[in-house]
Amino acid sequence: MQANPKVRKGKFRKRFKKEKELWFWSSLSIIWWVFFFLIPLYGILYAFFDYVPGRELTWDRFVGLENFAAFFEARDAWNIIRNTLVIGGLNITVGFIAPIILALLFDELKSMKLKRVTQTVSYLPYFVSWVVVASILNTCLGSEGVLNEVLIGLGILDEPILFLSEGEYFWTIITVTNIWKNVGWSTILYMSAIAGIDQELYEAGAVDGLGRWGMVRHITLPSILPTIVLLFILGIGNILNLGYEQNLLIGQPTTRAYWDIIDTYVYRYGIQMGRHSFAIAVGLMKSVIGLALVFATNRIAKKTMDMSIF
Amino acid sequence: MVSRTKLVKATVGSKVFDVCNVIFMLILLFLMVYPFWNQLVISLNDGIDAQRGGLYFWPREFTLNNYDYILKSKGLLSALGWSLARVIWGTFAQLVCTGFVAYITTVKFFSFHRKLRAMFMITMYVSGGMIPVYLWYQQIGLTETFAVYWLPGLIGAYNMMIIASYIEGLPEAVTESARIDGAREVTIFFRVVAPLCIPVFAALAIMTAVGHWNSWFDVMIYNPSGKFDTMQMLLRDILIESDKIKELMSDSMVGGDAAKSQASRISTQSMRAATTMLVTIPIVCVYPFFQKYFVKGISIGAVKG
Repeated sequence: MQANPKVRKGKFRKRFKKEKELWFWSSLSIIWWVFFFLIPLYGILYAFFDYVPGRELTWDRFVGLENFAAFFEARDAWNIIRNTLVIGGLNITVGFIAPIILALLFDELKSMKLKRVTQTVSYLPYFVSWVVVASILNTCLGSEGVLNEVLIGLGILDEPILFLSEGEYFWTIITVTNIWKNVGWSTILYMSAIAGIDQELYEAGAVDGLGRWGMVRHITLPSILPTIVLLFILGIGNILNLGYEQNLLIGQPTTRAYWDIIDTYVYRYGIQMGRHSFAIAVGLMKSVIGLALVFATNRIAKKTMDMSIF
Repeated sequence: MVSRTKLVKATVGSKVFDVCNVIFMLILLFLMVYPFWNQLVISLNDGIDAQRGGLYFWPREFTLNNYDYILKSKGLLSALGWSLARVIWGTFAQLVCTGFVAYITTVKFFSFHRKLRAMFMITMYVSGGMIPVYLWYQQIGLTETFAVYWLPGLIGAYNMMIIASYIEGLPEAVTESARIDGAREVTIFFRVVAPLCIPVFAALAIMTAVGHWNSWFDVMIYNPSGKFDTMQMLLRDILIESDKIKELMSDSMVGGDAAKSQASRISTQSMRAATTMLVTIPIVCVYPFFQKYFVKGISIGAVKG
């Protein structure tokens, strides 16, 4: 235990010599890390100051929680919170269940070829950008778009509706679009969980007289439950990260009362209007709530189902 | 392996379900493909005629005019150039740097390897957020540069994890023997380890390239002047700003009287459809071949994460 300091020093030098090259490369990556991770992280502190770009942060610019309080006094604050919760809520319920059902339906397909083709094709929307999706939506939902013409042709509508310009349709449109884009891709984890189920369970189930629905209910679903719970906890953590891209692209100025969420609000105030400290405070609040939600859900899952992610 | 469905007696209900399931899948296929097909049809149809609507499955007045026009626009060519530059250089630089750092984190005798990995792992869970990042990039002059597209993503923690787990699966003797021969670590990585990692690099390269091809938000906030506009940004401008099409048409290199008669047959919608297809087609061509790698990648990520 009581090594001679000289020997230890020599050992350290020898060690460093051996690792010299690795330290060199590591230090380059650490510089990048400091530049692109650590310093922006430090920028969170601006939320507690009255930050003016180009000026040194000093204590006389410290404002405490003023920026946070300002959000709740803002006229549109409750509207933003409502939109975030509604769209996030739709995503974690309808948007969460859809891939589970689709995975189960994929699994019940008898034709392997149809299964493979449908799976592959259902991934396609996931790979295209939101700009493309918004452009397609604009065409299909426009006044001469397919949807209007079909609805008029079926006699459901008398004249075309500009779906994207009327706010009341926005929540439906964004939820359906989110599902359309992600549902195929989201089945992957469930499919790999299903593939890992022991076949003998099904054989035993058949002996016990389980039908197809019984097998799904008593074997498949319980077997993929850990995956479902895991993804649900992660989904709860992301409930406030709805994706500002789609809302910015699909939302229109006239429908803002329905699509403006925390992220788009942060973008508008922080970048377009230059109220940096205020926007950072709002963004920080969102992250903290998201983190708290993960811990809370994790705790509930641990208590009730004995499952958790940490 | 015995098919599970054979274990159960085929009741009437079960058969009805099978038929319904197949019909559902066919509807799903249609819903996934048709929106793209509709854009394709509009992009291949005469612009003025398309405004009458009623284009469903086939172009009514077939023309390549829309593509001809847009492909000769200088704005589009420049956007295509930046997109390709971003995809190629961004992907290459990211994979080399991420791969090398991933390798360093697997060198067991390096006393910092675990901590280095932890440092990058944190970046997946915590970040400064949109505004602090934006302000910092502005401060260091990264806005209005091409570098803002690739420099911030140079070391991707998620990809690093996947590469590192792949390297750890290789036999240790490979690197040990090179080390005994006195090779430098950088040589070991590029000559010995990287060639063995080609499968994982190929999968991640496609994933990263698709990400670069698809991103537009960073273009919008970091390079607002439009000098480094990419294809996605161009399409976004066409979608949101009504004047963008006129601007593109005015800088098109189609000349003479032919151009005038051509231009009079073009509508915003058909030009937008053509641009949308130009942005989508590369993805459609690439993704079926690589989706199996993605599937593997996401599964690895899930297990590790």
